[in-house]
Amino acid sequence: MRMLAAHCLMVAAITFSPMVLRDTRAADLVVPHDPSALNTKMLVSNACSKCHGATGISVSPIFPILAAQQIAYIQTELKLFRERGRSDPHARAFMWGIARGLTDDQIDGVAQYFSSHPPPKGAASRNPALAEKGKSIFENGIPAREIPGCTICHGPNAEGINTFPRLAGQHRDYLTVQLQQFRNQLRESEIMQPIAKTLTDDEIAAVVEYVGSK
Amino acid sequence: MSRDRLELKLGFAAGGRLRLGSMILCALAAPAVLALFSTPARAVPPFARQTGLACEACHTIPPELTPFGRRFRLNAYTLTTKPPLVTDIDDHKRNTVFLTDLPGMSILLQFTYDHWNRALPDSQVAGAKAQSDTFQFPQQFSVMYAGAVSDHVGAWMQLTYLQNTGSLGIDNNEVRYADHTADNEWLWGVTLNNNPSFQDVWNTGEAYGIPYFPVQSLYIATQPLGGASLRAPIFTTFPGLAAGLGGYVWYKDSLYLELSEYHAAKAGSVIADEDSSNLNLGGGTIDDFAPYWRAAYERDWGYNSATIGTSGMYVKFVPKEYAGQTISPGNVNRYLDISIDWQYQYNGRHNIFTFLGHYTHENEENDPGLVPKYFANATDHLNQLQITGEYFHNRTVGAIISFVRATGTTDAPFNGGTGSPANQYEVFELDYLPWFNTRLLLQYDVYNVVNNNQNPFFLNGATNPKASDNNTWVVGLWMDF
Repeated sequence: MRMLAAHCLMVAAITFSPMVLRDTRAADLVVPHDPSALNTKMLVSNACSKCHGATGISVSPIFPILAAQQIAYIQTELKLFRERGRSDPHARAFMWGIARGLTDDQIDGVAQYFSSHPPPKGAASRNPALAEKGKSIFENGIPAREIPGCTICHGPNAEGINTFPRLAGQHRDYLTVQLQQFRNQLRESEIMQPIAKTLTDDEIAAVVEYVGSK
Repeated sequence: MSRDRLELKLGFAAGGRLRLGSMILCALAAPAVLALFSTPARAVPPFARQTGLACEACHTIPPELTPFGRRFRLNAYTLTTKPPLVTDIDDHKRNTVFLTDLPGMSILLQFTYDHWNRALPDSQVAGAKAQSDTFQFPQQFSVMYAGAVSDHVGAWMQLTYLQNTGSLGIDNNEVRYADHTADNEWLWGVTLNNNPSFQDVWNTGEAYGIPYFPVQSLYIATQPLGGASLRAPIFTTFPGLAAGLGGYVWYKDSLYLELSEYHAAKAGSVIADEDSSNLNLGGGTIDDFAPYWRAAYERDWGYNSATIGTSGMYVKFVPKEYAGQTISPGNVNRYLDISIDWQYQYNGRHNIFTFLGHYTHENEENDPGLVPKYFANATDHLNQLQITGEYFHNRTVGAIISFVRATGTTDAPFNGGTGSPANQYEVFELDYLPWFNTRLLLQYDVYNVVNNNQNPFFLNGATNPKASDNNTWVVGLWMDF
């Protein structure tokens, strides 16, 4: 009996001791399990942070870094996910489900939350020559094929403008996949599909190398 | 499944003259056979319906969990993206009712065709034609509920029908509670389950490990003819036979600590619902409470996830009387299992690679009252090593190779046969997933070492029985919807 009591105490100790750390703000929720009632912090905590990180800096390149992303861009994309207006493979696999019950207020809150976090410093390029080629494409485009420079929409430092996303410091693999999907018409965009249509793998690698290192 | 049926068949196959040690071994092994029958936790559509997430969010290849999938389970399956159909709060704004519009139900089917290396003599009918294959349709049919129960509680409840036994029974089951701080730095939870290690979120253990598709298919198929399971650590032998309550914490998405306590599902009985008239059919039970512990450290970077961990269980085990041969009440054997495990996952866009395994050392102190009659040694050891590698391309085609080796002290009364507990086998598997919830496989199980009293060819009087007689081709189909 004494042994049983000791075992029970051990289980209780390991289970309940961290509860003292519980954030009492969770009690502010009206209906905690109704996703439409989650406030921004709980939404980020329960859902977004699992893939994008608590401060918007994701670990896996499957998921984009959201820290310092443009508010309008996050809002636009979340609404597209919610309405299934964006249908690239990962949008279907992940964001169609996550966004399906979001309210406009929640979308605004999440967008402001991630936008307000500082961006990560892009990983320095290990291939300066490639990055230099990418810089040229980023700034000047490829005039021979009437491909415009990226700065027009994404800003001179790839920081993004309004609904045009920040690209600086983004996971290189993520950027590569997006450009490939624009090229292959797997991701919808009236602007990016024509631009990416004739981009070669080498050109994508170059511009990604440059942008990812910023 | 019915324990008495299993035991009776074992007794028949052995001509009723197995030594007690062997009988205890068989009884110990019987739950391991159950473990083989038991479905490892797999991807289940209810989770996808609840979250709106595709299977790949939580699984590399079902049921292996991704880092996100591990967090989903540690959070008690509660993540949901759909408003509940019915919900209510009390005066303190506490959620009191939560019901989804669709119950998280799912059906899981497994079909197999097994072809053995050698035709197995059918000792039950004199002169009967030998069998060299079997078609199990279905090998297994499961119905389950999986998903959130309330805002902090989720459940995995599974009922399984097995063709081999023709019975419907309780499979792996779990109820889990979890909560976390708002910054997600600390997560804590409680798990109530019926199988030590089923609650684990890494796929390195027994109840939840890979290779997932039933291996040792021969032993499943021929079990009515006397094929016992191979010797394995005792903590793997309690699926459905124990009830455990545990608490865990998960710190900074990296460090996992758990302590659980398991008790026999019904004190003094092997199976909870078995009536007392079957108590003399052997086996044994957990005496008092058996602690189970687990620690793991995970680090994720890029597409990679690596984990190293340890786990263990201390079991006081009370052998029962068997077929008229009585072990005096009060004899207790003490088992201490300690494992180390590891897992490396590369979960890329097109390529998935996993390397994982575990090494378990078991120390068994035999009750002095049972030595030397039933056990030759005061202390026995068993070591088990499992190493598995798998590769999948585009989540469509892949291959799995697994190596399992057990060694230990020679104990003739206990292990029977040569007295060695050793066994060794490899599993080679090719998979094709035309859809993520449908899996076709071709598996070849190669047996290098099988003790005689675990070898159905020996038990059924085959001439010159060899371990390789057990080599088996398996063609399988798994569906979950």
